[in-house]
Amino acid sequence: MAAKKRERLDVIRDILQTIRQNREIKPTRLLYASNLSPQMFKEYINELISKNFIKLEIGEKDKKTFSLTKKGQDFLQEYKIIENFIENFGL
Amino acid sequence: MSLYSLILANKWLLEVLYAFIIALICAVIVIKTDKFFRLSLHQGIRYFRNAFFFFGVGFIAKYIFGLLSDLNFSFVYVAQVIFEYFLVMAGFFLLYSLVWRRFESSREEYFSSLFNAKIAVFHVMALVIALLDDIWRTYYFMFASQIIIFFYASIISFANLRRNRNKYKFQKFYFVAMLLGLIAWTLNLLAPLYFNWSSEILINIGIINIIFFLLFLYGVIKVTKTE
Repeated sequence: MAAKKRERLDVIRDILQTIRQNREIKPTRLLYASNLSPQMFKEYINELISKNFIKLEIGEKDKKTFSLTKKGQDFLQEYKIIENFIENFGL
Repeated sequence: MSLYSLILANKWLLEVLYAFIIALICAVIVIKTDKFFRLSLHQGIRYFRNAFFFFGVGFIAKYIFGLLSDLNFSFVYVAQVIFEYFLVMAGFFLLYSLVWRRFESSREEYFSSLFNAKIAVFHVMALVIALLDDIWRTYYFMFASQIIIFFYASIISFANLRRNRNKYKFQKFYFVAMLLGLIAWTLNLLAPLYFNWSSEILINIGIINIIFFLLFLYGVIKVTKTE
């Protein structure tokens, strides 16, 4: 049987969880961990930045890292409740 | 004095209280679910929230135009069109919150969930239903549309319940709520046809409606309660 396609919400949770586990993570490592195509990854990352769930920090020698914002941390805390709500109401 | 006589003696006050209670329940549901939508951007939550927004506005409109109709009788017809339009839209949104995945991808996003190309179809249908009832001075078009909506919603919620039996506790309450909705709208249809708008039947419909909204309020509070 084919594996169930990940929902948008699941992908977002996975990305945020990976960032939280690493505190800070390089874009390439996050791309591998997310298991998405580069195009899809870019779309999700742009969305998460625009929604203020994650922030991109540029350090010395143009070293780029992603980290969670307060809103991103709140989302991870509320994710279980939201998932429960969606399933209970058949949404 | 029987309960029915007591209710009829205070009809105006109880109608206001009835509209106020339902609008209040809807407001709580909209506020609670809006928080989750803004966090998750989940379209199903968005349409569910919209359903209760329209239910709430419909009952507030009925109350306001009901008061205005005491001053000018022509407001009765305006009140009927507006009330029906909002109620039919609420029914469409409730059903669509259950089936939206069949028509949209989870990455499809609209600037507004109240007015977009897909939802425009609902607006047109709701407006046509409300206007047809107004032209024919009847409620049958609304009753029929709501019976169809709640019939489909009952089937879908029953299928969800069977698929995930005991896994998600509110699903059985959701199914019961859909059945209550279906019963209430069927009684609404039968009231003029066989019971000559009997007050007892209308009071019972009101009680069923209150239970319907309280079930959803219970579900939203229970499921979203933080531990």
